[in-house]
Amino acid sequence: MSKKSMLRSAKGRNDHPDNGRRAFLKNGLVAGGAAALGAAAAGAAQAAGENVILQKQDWRTYLGDGVDARPYGTPSAHEAHVIRRNVEWLTADPVSSVSFTPLHELDGIITPNGVCFERHHGGIAEIDPTAHRLMIHGLVDTPLVFTLEDLKRFPRENKVYFLECAANSGMEWRGAQLNGVQFTHGMIHNVMYTGIKLRHVLEEAGIKPNGKWLLVEGGDASAMTRSIPIEKALNDCMIAFKMNGEALRPEQGYPMRLVVPGWEGNMWIKWLRRIEVGDQPWHQREETSKYTDLMPDGRARRFSWQMDVKSVITSPSPQAPVTHGKGRTVISGLAWSGAGKISRVDVSVDGGRNWRSARIDGPSLSRSVHRFYLDIDWNGEPLYLQSRAMDEYRNVQPTKDALRAVRGVNSIYHNNGIQTWYVAKDGVTENVEVS
Amino acid sequence: MLKYLKSVALGALVCSAFSAAGFAQGDVDKGKKVFNKCKACHMVGDKAKNKSGPELNELFGRAAGSKDGFKYSKAMLAKGEDGLVWNEETLNAFLTKPKAFVKGTKMSFAGIKKQKDMDNLLAYLGTFSTAEVQAPVAEQDDVSDDANAPAVTTQTNVAASAAEVPEHGVFHLGRVATDDEIAAWDFDVRPDGMGLPNGRGTVADGEEVFVEKCASCHGDFGEGVGRWPVLAGGQNSLQNERPVKTIGSYWPYLSTVYDYVQRAMPFGEAASLTDDETYAITAYLLYLNDIVDDEEFELSKENFLTVEMPNTANFYADDREDEPQYSVSADPCMNECKVGPVEITKRAQVLDVTPDQE
Ligand code: HEC
Ligand code: HEC
Repeated sequence: MSKKSMLRSAKGRNDHPDNGRRAFLKNGLVAGGAAALGAAAAGAAQAAGENVILQKQDWRTYLGDGVDARPYGTPSAHEAHVIRRNVEWLTADPVSSVSFTPLHELDGIITPNGVCFERHHGGIAEIDPTAHRLMIHGLVDTPLVFTLEDLKRFPRENKVYFLECAANSGMEWRGAQLNGVQFTHGMIHNVMYTGIKLRHVLEEAGIKPNGKWLLVEGGDASAMTRSIPIEKALNDCMIAFKMNGEALRPEQGYPMRLVVPGWEGNMWIKWLRRIEVGDQPWHQREETSKYTDLMPDGRARRFSWQMDVKSVITSPSPQAPVTHGKGRTVISGLAWSGAGKISRVDVSVDGGRNWRSARIDGPSLSRSVHRFYLDIDWNGEPLYLQSRAMDEYRNVQPTKDALRAVRGVNSIYHNNGIQTWYVAKDGVTENVEVS
Repeated sequence: MLKYLKSVALGALVCSAFSAAGFAQGDVDKGKKVFNKCKACHMVGDKAKNKSGPELNELFGRAAGSKDGFKYSKAMLAKGEDGLVWNEETLNAFLTKPKAFVKGTKMSFAGIKKQKDMDNLLAYLGTFSTAEVQAPVAEQDDVSDDANAPAVTTQTNVAASAAEVPEHGVFHLGRVATDDEIAAWDFDVRPDGMGLPNGRGTVADGEEVFVEKCASCHGDFGEGVGRWPVLAGGQNSLQNERPVKTIGSYWPYLSTVYDYVQRAMPFGEAASLTDDETYAITAYLLYLNDIVDDEEFELSKENFLTVEMPNTANFYADDREDEPQYSVSADPCMNECKVGPVEITKRAQVLDVTPDQE
C-alpha cells in the first residue's frame, strides 16, 4: 500500500459512523437524561448479572485481523466520534476555515496527530518533499537554499509545545455562545516536535548587523506570511519536520513548519518555504487586517504575539456530561501559558466563590499544556465549574469581565478569560457565565 | 477503509457505465487535484450544493445554466436556451477560456492551460455523472506527460555540485541561492516601498479586472457577497458595537493591499495577476474606499508612497502587561471571593448555534 492510500484509509476509518455511542451522547445532551439512563442500565443488569459477562462475546471466540490488516493503525471503530469538527457558519468556505480539537475526549498532554485542530487560508497544500525547498535571503552574507535532507543534517532537538490560535475562544467575547469545549477552546494542540534550531539555519547564511526582522512564508495557496523579530528567532524558534515522532501531517505543514514557542499559532508558518531577513517589519495582512486587537477607543494593539495564561476544564463539559450520577467524579482540564510553566491551577465548583488547588499530573514543561485533576465526591447538586491558572511568572488567568472592562468585546483575539460550565442535577453540562 | 473502498467502487462504475475509451485518457486521481482549482466555488459528490458556483454532479448531459436554485448570469442562461449541453467537447472549450466561450459569464476563472490537466479533470468530473461521455481524442504519450510536468530540480543536481563542501556557515549545509531563484520567490512588498515592481494601473482599469476576477466573491463595490470578506466601507465604525474593518476603515498600509492581492487572490487562483493588474486593482480599492475620488487616478511604483491611509496612526504596540488584571501581584483569592449566591447571567443554549454532533 502506498503511503497515500494508507493515510486515506486511516481517514476513511474515522469517517465511519458509530451511531450507538453518538446517539447516546446526543440524547444525553438534548433530553438531559444521560445520568438517569446510565444508572437505570446498571441497575437492571445487576439483578441477574450482566449479559456482557454471562454471554460469550464474538471476539472471545473468533479470530481477529492479522498483523497485515492494519499497516497504519487507526483508533477503534467505537472511537469514531472523536474527530475534529468545524462550525459551518463561521466562515464563507471550508477551504479558508478552521476545525477544532476534540478536547473533551482527550487526556494527558499530547494531542494525537489526526485530531490536531486545523486552520488553513488556502486549503491543505499537498507537497512533494523532493520538490520542496527552503530559501533564506535578504540581509544575509550568503543567500541559501536547503532541501529537507539538508535540514536533517543540522543537530536536532525534541520539544513539546502548545500551539494556540490567537482567536481561540474568540467567539465568546460577547457571552457564552458555543456549547462545547471543542468549539470554545479547541483551537489548541500540544505535540512533541522534532526539528532543528532556526538559529542554526540563520547563522549558516550569516545575518548582517542590520538584520532585525524575519519575513517567514509558506508555500501554500495563501503563501501565508508573518514578520518575526530576530530576538525571538534566535532564541527558541525551530524548523520542525516531525510531530509526535512521525512526519508532520499535511494539515500541519508537511514537510516542514516553523515552531514559535508560546506565540500565536498564525506565526507558526506551515509548508515553510522562505525566510527573508530585513531591517523592519513587513506589516503583512495577517499582522494588520487580522491579528490586531481592536480596543473600545477605536485604536488597535498590534504585535500581540504571546499567548496568555489560560486553562479550561475539559470534562465535565457540554460534550462530556456527567453520566454516572452523584459520587466520585473526576474533574479534568488543561492549563497553559505562553510565558513558561504552569505553577498552579485552582478549581471552583461554586462559580468562583471558593477555590481549591488542583493536582497537576504528567510532565510540566515550559509552554506546553499541563494536565490537572480535581477528584471530588459530587453530592448531586448543581456545579458551577471554573478553573484558574497561574504561571511561573505569577500571571493569573483573569475573569472574562476583567478582560471586557479593559478591552471591550471587539478585540477577537487573546480571550483567556475564566470559563464556567454549569453542571445540572442530571449531569447535563452547559456553557454559561455567572454573577 | 471507506474512502479506499469508494475509489474501488468508482473504478468499477467507470468500467461498467462508461465506454472504456472514454476514460482511458484521463487519470481520475490526478483530475481530483486539478479540481482543487475549482473547489473554492464548486462542489461535487454526496454533500454537493451550490456555492458561489453551481454544484457539478450529473454535469455531463446537463443543459448549461440549468441547476436549480443557482443564480446564473444572463449569458449562461442564454447559452442554455440556445441548446448548449455540457459534454467532453463543450466543457473542453468552456474550461479552456471561460470568458471567450460564454461571453459575459460570471465565472471568474482564467482557464485550464494544459490539455493533460483538462483530460484528467474531465475524467474526475465524469465519475460524478452517470451519462455517457464522448471520448476525447487527445493523443496519449508518456513522454509528453513528463514534458508537461513542472520542472523540478531534484536532489541529484545539487548533490553533484555538493561533492565539494561549501564554504559558508558553520555546518556547511545548503547551497547558494541564485539571483533568479530569489527573484522568482521574493515578491513581498513593505510599507517603505521595498519590493514594489515597476508598473501602473488606473481606477478604471482596476474596475474592469475587479469585476472579472474578484466581484463574484467580494461584490462589484467590495461590499462582499454572502459571507465573503467586505473590502470597502465601514469608515468611522471602529468604535461601533459592530465595527466594519476594511481596507479603508482599518488597514494601516497600502503596501499590504498590493502584497496580499498578488500573494493570495483571486482565491483559488493565487499569484496569477500581473503587476499592472495589481496596481490597477489596488487603485480601484482606494477608489471604492473613497481614498481617491478620480476614476482617472493612476497608481504606480512612482506615486505609491504618496497615498495616505486614514487609519495609519491608530495602531500601537502590545501593552497587555500594563492591564490591571496582570499588574496585581497579590496571590489570587481562595475563599469567599464573591458575595451573594451564584446566578447564571448568560447561557450558550439561548443562541443555540453549536453544530450538531451528528
Ligand atoms: C471563482 C469562482 C469559480 C471558480 C474558481 C470556478 N468556477 Fe465554474 N462557475 C462559477 C460561476 C459563478 C458559474 C456560473 C457562471 C454563470 O452563470 O455565468 C460557474 C459555472 C460553471 C459551469 C457551468 C455549470 C452549469 O450549470 O451550467 C461549469 C461546468 C463550471 N463552472 C466548471 C468549473 C470548473 C471545472 C472549474 C475549475 C477548473 C471552475 N468551474 C472554476 C464560478 C467558478
Ligand atoms: C472565490 C472567492 C474569492 C475571489 C474570486 C476573490 N477573493 Fe479575495 N478573499 C476571499 C477569501 C475567502 C478571503 C479571506 C481569505 C483568508 O483569510 O483566508 C479573501 C480576502 C481578500 C482580501 C483581504 C480582506 C481582509 O479584510 O483582510 C482582499 C484585499 C481580497 N480578498 C481581494 C481580492 C481581489 C482583489 C480579488 C480579485 C483579484 C479577490 N479577492 C478575489 C475570497 C475571494
